[in-house]
Amino acid sequence: MSGTTSGTAGGDSGAWDGDTAGNTGGNTGGTATAAADEQRQQPAPQTGPGAGTGTGTGEPGTTAVYAGERLRDRLTWQKLTILPGVLTLVLLGTWLWFRSAELDTIARNSLADGNVALRLGQHIEMTVISTFFVLIIAIPLGIALTRPKLRRATPVAMAAANLGQAVPSLGLLVLLVFWLNIGQTTAIVGMVVYAVLPVLANTITGLRNIDPGLTEAAKGIGMSSPGVLVKVELPLAVPLILAGIRNALVLNVGTATLATFIGGGGLGDLISSGITNQRMPVLMLGSILTVALALLIDWLASLVELLLRPRGLEGSS
Amino acid sequence: MSFWEYLGNRHTQLLADSLQHASAVFQCMVAATVIGVAIAVLTYRSEWAGDLATTAGATILTVPSLALIGLLIPLVGLGVAPTVLALTLYGLLPIVRNAIVGLRGVDPALVDAARGIGMSRGRQLLKVELPLAWPPILTGIRVSTQMLMGIAAIAAFASGPGLGNSIFRGVASLGSANALNQVLAGTLGIVVLALLFDGAYVVVGRLTTPRGIRA
Repeated sequence: MSGTTSGTAGGDSGAWDGDTAGNTGGNTGGTATAAADEQRQQPAPQTGPGAGTGTGTGEPGTTAVYAGERLRDRLTWQKLTILPGVLTLVLLGTWLWFRSAELDTIARNSLADGNVALRLGQHIEMTVISTFFVLIIAIPLGIALTRPKLRRATPVAMAAANLGQAVPSLGLLVLLVFWLNIGQTTAIVGMVVYAVLPVLANTITGLRNIDPGLTEAAKGIGMSSPGVLVKVELPLAVPLILAGIRNALVLNVGTATLATFIGGGGLGDLISSGITNQRMPVLMLGSILTVALALLIDWLASLVELLLRPRGLEGSS
Repeated sequence: MSFWEYLGNRHTQLLADSLQHASAVFQCMVAATVIGVAIAVLTYRSEWAGDLATTAGATILTVPSLALIGLLIPLVGLGVAPTVLALTLYGLLPIVRNAIVGLRGVDPALVDAARGIGMSRGRQLLKVELPLAWPPILTGIRVSTQMLMGIAAIAAFASGPGLGNSIFRGVASLGSANALNQVLAGTLGIVVLALLFDGAYVVVGRLTTPRGIRA
C-alpha cells in the first residue's frame, strides 16, 4: 500500500496499500510511503482538488516517519534476528506436532508424495514470476507516464489504479478463467494484472514527489532529459520503487493462495482441501506454511530495501 | 441466458448476498474503527508503543487472507465467526496507522491551550485531538473498507456470507451455462458496493470534518 496521488489529484488518495500489504515498516527514507503520504494528503480530499500538498500539513507526518525510521535503524540487529527466529520456532513446532498427529487416509493422501514440497514450490514460482512481470510492466510505464509528453495521462492512470483496487482479486482470477482457461498461467496473469496498478501508482507518486527544484537544477547545469531521469529522478525514486517491489511481492504471495480455485496449485491447495475435506491438520499445515512464506518474503524484501536505499537519501525527504 | 436475464432472474438471491456482504463489511468496519482508534489513543504518545502497534498491524496485513481464515477455522469453526474475525483484523492496520499519524500530527500548542482552559485529559482527546485527527482516520477507514470488500469474497469459501458465494458457485459449476454470469454478478456486485461505500465516505467526510480544518 502505499503511496498515492499527491494532493492535486484530489479525492482519492491513500488507496493502496496498506491496503494490501507491504508496509511492514516500509517507510523508507521519508518518501511517500503510506503513513507520511496519507498524512500529507489526507487533509487534501477535504480541501478539494487543486489544494496541493500544503507544506504545513506535511510537517507532522514527516516527523512521525523520521521517528519511526530512527527506531528501525536502531533495531537493525533485532530486525535481522527476530522474525527468522520466530518463524523457525513456529515451523519446528508445527513439524513436531505433525509427527505426533494422527493422520487418516484422506489427510495422508493430501500430503503424500511430496505434495507439500510441490505446492510450496509452485507458490514460490508463481510469486516470483508474477512479481517479475509486474516490475517490468509497472516501472517503465510509471516512468513513461511522468514524462512531460504523457503527463496528462497520469491522473487517468491514478484513477484507474484506485478503481482497480475495488475489484476483488478472487473475482478477477476467476473471470480470467473464462478467457484463458484454468491453470497456473491464468493465475499468474491474474496476479500480474492485480499487482501492476498499485506498483504503477507507487512509481508515479515517487517520481512526482521529487522536488521540481532538483530537476530544474539538473536541467540548468545542462543535463539532457534522459540524463535528468537516470542521474536525478530515478535515484531519488529508488526508495519508493523498492517499496513497490516489496508491495508487489506481498500482494502476489497472497493472491497466489487463490490460484487453487482456478487449478493453479500453490499452497492454497492444501488450505482448500483441508477445508473441503474437513481435515484440520492439512488446513493448519497449509495455512502455517503460507503465513511463514509470506512473512519470510516480506522480511527478505525489507532487508533488500534497507541495503539498497541510497545512502544520500537518509534523513532527507 | 444473457447477463441481464440472469440478473433479472436471480435478483432476490443477489440482493440478499449483496446486503449480507455490505452488512458484514460495515459491521466489521465499525468494530475495526472502534478498536483501531482505541489502540491508537492508547499508544500514540509513546514512540515505542505506537510503532509496535503499527508493525503488528502491518504483519497481520502481510498474512494472506485465505491462510488467516484457515488458521481461524480450527479455533472458531466455519461460517460467520472466522469471517468477522478476519475482516476486523485486516481492517485494523490502516485505521491504527492513520489514527496514530493523525494524533501525533496535532499541534501540541492546541492541546496545551485546551489544558490551559481547564479541559480534562478525556475532553482534550474528544474535543480537540480526535476531531483534528479525523480526516486521516476517515481515509484509513476508506482504505480498509475497499480492502475488506475483496477479502469478504474469499471468506465465502469458509461458508462466510456475501457475494463471494456467487463467485464460488460459478467456480463450482465451471463449464455450465450460468458460470460466467454467477462470477460476473458476484465480482461486479462487489465493485459496485465498494464504489458506493467510497462515495458514502466522501459525503461522511464533508459532513463530519470540523469546520475549522475544512478549507
